[in-house]
Amino acid sequence: MSGNWTFDDAAVYAAAEYGTKRIIGPIDGSFEQGRITLLVGANGAGKSTLLEMMAGLRPLHSGSVALGSSSLWQKGKRRKMRLDRNVLLHTGISLQHSESQWFAPKVSDEFRFSLKPYKLPEAEQEDRMRKAMEATGLPPQLTENDPWTLSGGQQRRLSLACLIACQPQWLLLDEPTSGLDTAGISQLLDVLQAHREAGGGAVISTHDLDVLLPIADEVAVMEDGLLLQAVPAAEWAAVHASDYAAPQALRVLKELRHARFELSQPDTALWPSLSELAGAIASQLAATGHGELREPKLMQKQQTAQGADAGRERQARSVDYDVESPHQSQEADKVNISPQIGAGGLASRFDPRALILSYVLLAAAVLMQGTWPGIGVAVVLTGIALFPLRAQIRPWIKVIRAYSIMIAAIAFIAGIQLKPLGFEWTNAQFTLLRFSGLLVVMLLGLPMLAMVTPLRVQRAIEQTFGWLGRFKVPVSSVALTVTLIFRFIPLLGSEWQRFAAIAHARGKATTQAGSLPVSMLFPVVIPYIRSLLRLAEQLADALEARGIGNPNGKPTRGFKLRFAARDALLMLAALLSASLLFYLNAVL
Amino acid sequence: MERNLLLQLTDVAVRAFTANEQEEPVAILKNIHMRVEQGEWIALIGRNGSGKSTLLKLIAGFQAGEASGFLDWGDALASRSGIKAPIVMQQPEASMVGATPIEDLIIMLEQNGVKGELIAEQAANALARTGMLDRGHQPVGTLSGGQKQRVAIAGCLAVDAPILLMDEPTAMLDPEASIYVHDIVRKLNRSGIAVIWITQKLDELREGDRVIALEQGEIVFDGAAEGFYARSRAMDSVCERLGFEAPYVVQTAWELEKHGVELASLPLTPAALAKAVQRR
Repeated sequence: MSGNWTFDDAAVYAAAEYGTKRIIGPIDGSFEQGRITLLVGANGAGKSTLLEMMAGLRPLHSGSVALGSSSLWQKGKRRKMRLDRNVLLHTGISLQHSESQWFAPKVSDEFRFSLKPYKLPEAEQEDRMRKAMEATGLPPQLTENDPWTLSGGQQRRLSLACLIACQPQWLLLDEPTSGLDTAGISQLLDVLQAHREAGGGAVISTHDLDVLLPIADEVAVMEDGLLLQAVPAAEWAAVHASDYAAPQALRVLKELRHARFELSQPDTALWPSLSELAGAIASQLAATGHGELREPKLMQKQQTAQGADAGRERQARSVDYDVESPHQSQEADKVNISPQIGAGGLASRFDPRALILSYVLLAAAVLMQGTWPGIGVAVVLTGIALFPLRAQIRPWIKVIRAYSIMIAAIAFIAGIQLKPLGFEWTNAQFTLLRFSGLLVVMLLGLPMLAMVTPLRVQRAIEQTFGWLGRFKVPVSSVALTVTLIFRFIPLLGSEWQRFAAIAHARGKATTQAGSLPVSMLFPVVIPYIRSLLRLAEQLADALEARGIGNPNGKPTRGFKLRFAARDALLMLAALLSASLLFYLNAVL
Repeated sequence: MERNLLLQLTDVAVRAFTANEQEEPVAILKNIHMRVEQGEWIALIGRNGSGKSTLLKLIAGFQAGEASGFLDWGDALASRSGIKAPIVMQQPEASMVGATPIEDLIIMLEQNGVKGELIAEQAANALARTGMLDRGHQPVGTLSGGQKQRVAIAGCLAVDAPILLMDEPTAMLDPEASIYVHDIVRKLNRSGIAVIWITQKLDELREGDRVIALEQGEIVFDGAAEGFYARSRAMDSVCERLGFEAPYVVQTAWELEKHGVELASLPLTPAALAKAVQRR
């Protein structure tokens, strides 16, 4: 199987604070086989997401993606969407952080894991491993080493080697030049050129145009989640020669032409070789009086509508950038920067103390309920409270479902009687009642994380328990620790997803990216734990950089929490609901 | 000590912590002598693992290993309480502690003992200087990498230090954002703040920058950027010996030399190259 990638109105969405949010799309267009296409655009324009979508790591919200005549997503058993295995086998993706994906004790085992889906004979595997290591400049004796003992540059080479050992038709690479030295970069270029000569195609997301533009066939600009028409590399270079972030060679040509040097455009390359350029300059300097005025030719050359638009917009944005500090700093003291008010949104709407007290009150009332009508009322009240916060609950749906199933199972087991064998409904019901109460309390707590910020929680603890400091209770240390835990929690999930995606792509799993086959757990857990340790180290550095833990420092307070009217209302509502529940419990 | 001196490192060495006592600890830095003066721009260059981050962390006051030698502060820094030399790190993701830019700056200022009533104003001013004030209340998760770096730089400005330490602040950014962050820090440098800037991107060097190159933990070059690229008859430039690819501008200048075109000074930017060729 081979062919071009085609996109038809393909779009990827992700969960957001309110409902879902478009990340990329609708994307129409194609990438042609046997060509190297660069994806360019600002960070956050959706380049990585597009590559992940092509590798099946992002479910499509709408539209379709196909390689050749096969659609990437197929309807499988029970009408669940599954990935087309053949498309996956012909596609190799390298994500950012692919260089820290290692889990096996030996380099050779890493190759075996990558090659496993291809079901090759042992000899062939060995052969491919040897060739891939040679092509990427890894010494053959490294096969027995622990991948984590390799240097940073070698780990990057290894991740590319694992990829090309699979000999996919298509290479999807995310920032492949980052972290590579000069030798590594020239090996990468050789690998890419050999891949193209063998008929393969590549889509490469990159900022490093100085290096990659010369070997590219096409450049496709991504902007705000949309894929603009791909244009030939030479055409792109011509249009963007005067961008301030253009490759340096282009800017050199532009400046020299501006200085009235006559420099011809080479037929095949994007810019003249160094000796051609130096020769041209030298000869023109020698021919005295290079005063003949000529306008630079290249600049007006064919500007495709979209390419030119993209360029113009980018320049417009850069102008926005420049209009900054002077007048803003004058206005600075007029701006209201109190962290309690305004733009902070949900996270700063309520005083954490009011939230926590309300929660404790309600939770106690719910847990007291010993009857089904009581639980029913609790569920209704919880539903009312959570309705405006439903977007915060949505990411937890799977957990809630799993918990509900667990409750049912436990209740069933609790109801089983052995002598005589039978089912005792009262026992089951009692268990069910208790656990349902817990479920309601859990649901109530879920959105709490989104309703506070670490600093506000820290301040709440300090303001409430600060007096304990006099009795040598380390209140501020505790408060700071709580702050950090809050800051760290969201990172736990995002890191897991990062490594799950890498393992998913290497193992060619055909399930949706969210659900990883159990057999692939191991390749995720090890790099995940390592990366968490690294994150923790970075966070510790960030803390030190902010002077936290400085033994001479006497921290001050830049703001204080104040109880506002809406906090009182919140607590009043909680109090009324709790009273109703207490009353019900007494009556029923 | 002279008035211009900010800090001075004398015979500094750092060895990695080892778990095993018999094992000979690996030297991360050795034999480091350097002085930093007010308002300087120092580009710190070296390959991965050459020790440049460790050197910067050492100056920032972090525990980086078993250190020996002397770190002396000049008068301007010795009198400071709290952070002496604030640092901006490469990873924008993990480097912010607060949930919003304003919160992050408040935490930093509180920890540095700035008076409570001054904090709000200082935080806002610092954010304004890096163009981040209007995003002051935006959750960290929704900021781009470049914006996070600008917040981190604002944090350094807020504590009003005469020196900024930058550990590859543009490594994770796209070209536009890199140039923007670089420009901001250049502007701060022109206003008199000394900067030590670690980078792998040699096109970020400018004429007149001081370059310190590290290899295997030792300073192998300390001098003007032009000298970093200087080729002598028998030897490649320091840049080439360290395995870095010189920017296109510098390579063009080298090639011109081969063609018998001598330039008065080595240009480092496209505009300077055009000027240098014309002015001959």
